[in-house]
Amino acid sequence: MDGRNATTDTIRLMALLADATQTAQAIDDLHALGIEDRKIVVLSGVPYPERALGRHTEWLALPWIVLAGAIGGFVFGLFLAVITPHLYRLDIGGHPAAAFPPAAIVVFVFTMMATIVSTFLGVLWEMDFPRFGRAPYHDLVTDGNLAVLLEIPADLQAKARAIFEAHHGHHIGEPEWISL
Amino acid sequence: MAKDVNTLTETNVGGPRWAMVVDLDRCTGCQACLVACHAENNVPVAGEAQAAYGRWLHWIIVQRYWEGQYPNVKARFTPLMCQQCTEAPCEPVCPVFATYHNPEGLNAQIYNRCIGTRFCGNACPYKARTFNWFTPEFPEPLGEQLNPDVTVRSRGIMEKCTFCVQRIRRVELATSAEGRRPTDGEILPACVQTCPPSALVFGDLNDPDSRVSQMARSRRSFRVLAELGTDPAVVYLKGGETNV
Amino acid sequence: MSDALALPGARAGSQDEPETAYDERLLLAQRTDEEINQAVLKPMLRTGRGFWALVAVLAGIILWGMYSWSYLIQWGLGTTGKNRPVYWTLFITTFVFWIGISHAGTMISAVLRLLKVDWRRPITRGAEAMTAFALVVAGLYPLIHLGRVWKAYWMVPYPNNRMLWPNFQSPLMWDLIAITTYLVSSTLYLYLALIPDLAMARDHTGGWRHRVYRLMALGWRGTGGEWHKLLRALAIFSVAIIPIFLSVHSIVSWDFAVTIQPRWHSTIFAPYFVIGAVYSGLSALAAILIIVRRGMRLQEFLRAEHFDALGRLILVAGMLWTYFWFAGFLVEWYGNDPVVRALISEEISGKMAPLFYLQMGANLIPIVLLAFRKVRTTPALLLATVLLVNVGMYTERFLIVVGSLQRNDIPFNWGTYRPTWVELSVVAMTFAGFALLYTVFSRIVPYVPVWEIKEGRLRYTLRRIGRLLVPTAAEIE
Repeated sequence: MDGRNATTDTIRLMALLADATQTAQAIDDLHALGIEDRKIVVLSGVPYPERALGRHTEWLALPWIVLAGAIGGFVFGLFLAVITPHLYRLDIGGHPAAAFPPAAIVVFVFTMMATIVSTFLGVLWEMDFPRFGRAPYHDLVTDGNLAVLLEIPADLQAKARAIFEAHHGHHIGEPEWISL
Repeated sequence: MAKDVNTLTETNVGGPRWAMVVDLDRCTGCQACLVACHAENNVPVAGEAQAAYGRWLHWIIVQRYWEGQYPNVKARFTPLMCQQCTEAPCEPVCPVFATYHNPEGLNAQIYNRCIGTRFCGNACPYKARTFNWFTPEFPEPLGEQLNPDVTVRSRGIMEKCTFCVQRIRRVELATSAEGRRPTDGEILPACVQTCPPSALVFGDLNDPDSRVSQMARSRRSFRVLAELGTDPAVVYLKGGETNV
Repeated sequence: MSDALALPGARAGSQDEPETAYDERLLLAQRTDEEINQAVLKPMLRTGRGFWALVAVLAGIILWGMYSWSYLIQWGLGTTGKNRPVYWTLFITTFVFWIGISHAGTMISAVLRLLKVDWRRPITRGAEAMTAFALVVAGLYPLIHLGRVWKAYWMVPYPNNRMLWPNFQSPLMWDLIAITTYLVSSTLYLYLALIPDLAMARDHTGGWRHRVYRLMALGWRGTGGEWHKLLRALAIFSVAIIPIFLSVHSIVSWDFAVTIQPRWHSTIFAPYFVIGAVYSGLSALAAILIIVRRGMRLQEFLRAEHFDALGRLILVAGMLWTYFWFAGFLVEWYGNDPVVRALISEEISGKMAPLFYLQMGANLIPIVLLAFRKVRTTPALLLATVLLVNVGMYTERFLIVVGSLQRNDIPFNWGTYRPTWVELSVVAMTFAGFALLYTVFSRIVPYVPVWEIKEGRLRYTLRRIGRLLVPTAAEIE
């Protein structure tokens, strides 16, 4: 599978670069070549802030997922603490069936539980994980290299290669589709 | 029209509030109440070794204190059972509602709901609750005289005095079938029935004419650990000096 | 000109990694990312005889403990030393102890991450693992101490034909949901931060290991988008898990404080227990790190700077614990409630006195010791000091749970307690269980968070200020 598409004629190109500055400059040059930002993917073993590499920051749905989850947990905790004592009424000496202090504790803990679980599930959903199967990747990424992966029209290939070579890129070529 | 007894007990409008009066001036410390309770409620015997380690299972126990030095020694007796507190500190802490406040003012213990966390045992300031540390054994022939009205508990369950709720129910059902309410003195828990000097009296505190109401109004009356605010339903009477 | 990097009094080098100076800064070390990866992978790929011997011993203790527990279930709680009025003893003591231990992980990985403190970097995973496994082990105790453990599921609100709900006013229900929440939270937090390192392990191993890591890494590639989302999720986790960890130990303390038992009914219990948890948890963490550093030969990653900083944090926690202890004790002593007075006199000059002085000595002496850099940066001295803290804090929990129950409002109901082999065996089982889980975990998974260390190395350079070469952290977040 070599990524060559006959009708639209796009190819994939990957290069490994040694540090962030070279990568950022290479990406600037690629932008100047007319390659869209969303056709460029940077793989790294260390998180770099997007602005360090001249990329756009993606809008995340995650905070909204978390908020929705927290509200759900809040409502569920409220139900358990305030509604269920009235469903099967059993009197407790000295306390009303549903009171603020115990209800506050139960509601708080369920809200936090739902926040955590929705953060986890939300981030997995947003990252589209788990995603097994073949994807363009290089093992040397976790050894400190930054991999720049391009999806470009075939006629830009030579210029892209030149840019990578100018910024000390190595292992330039079609990416290997590794089973992840 | 026969009244549904559940209506009587569940809503408690005009219903009873059960209470007990213990007259310490009459109590001789004979412990007949203790034995009667064992017999009536299938309370197992823990044995001497276990009892010495604090694991006796008596639902009512006669607490004995020695006062003074020889030759002026006096023994003081206080029969103590579950005080059936209105504001029972043991009730809110049970995670499964094995103990709750029933509409007749009784602190109910539901044996087959108890999972044995023993939180209620810690919360009770009177330490009136006992726990089945082992599977109860009834040495022969005690196994022949178990009361069929009362559950036999397994190991891992908390238990305590219930004011002989099975006797209360039996009389309430019988009188309700006759279309009337129980009269004062008709319901007798086992300890009250047995006490030789009649130091224990049981009745309805909501009825101002019952014996317990009258005795509870006595100037000799007090309640144990009243300052804790548990509002117990057991009233003690103690007046002048007695020789026991 | 003095070398600004060297910490005075630190021991330099170790027999296995001669080129690593103990007092050199980790984040300035002259190492490539590849060398760091290999250093972390080495203990994962090779296990020596010592590891298997340890596993065998721990498994033996666990098996004996499981036999004891089944004996307990079969014959009843009478096989323990509990009685009336001492209804809660070693099981609840150890339960509170383990919950306390679990607090250090969150302290390190969440609080220090929020505060952008760099010395947390090699420690966070070991700390979070300690939290998760301490909670697993702690969560056994609410089952172990039940009279009818086979009915334990009644505490869970599930549809039943009696239409019964559990009692949400009971602190034990709050315990159930809070501990479950904390366990789920810390496990997910541990796992989320682990994914990039699992990908690294996937890329450098073969055979069954490669398949396991591949499955657990979920297809991580390290794209910019993936990092952005992961970091955002970790940021949310860091903030969210802090109220959770504060609430869990407060809820556990309310198991005692909501009763009217003298010496339990104290409003200071919640913060007192939380700070005690931080104190004992950080001490346990330091002990574990020292042992793991030697056992897994991680001298490369755990250096003087980390133990120095951790020791200072333990020092602060210890001082706070002392403050809260005194604030509670003063008020009890001053009020002169008769039962409290009887309990205090038992503690100061009665049967409980040896344990009380052990508690105070073992908690206060380390505070003095930790003020010295020599103690903080010498592994053997630090290990002895923090183990002393854990002994003191366990004794403190014992005195609170068991000591207070021995006296109450009616003298006829006073009692004593003697532990039995069943209780001691089960307690030993949980200690061995924790150790086994931790030992196996640290060999299966990269123990040190390499991506966080690499991220930290991006931030650190040397800068010249006058005559000094100073390590400088950049703020690239």
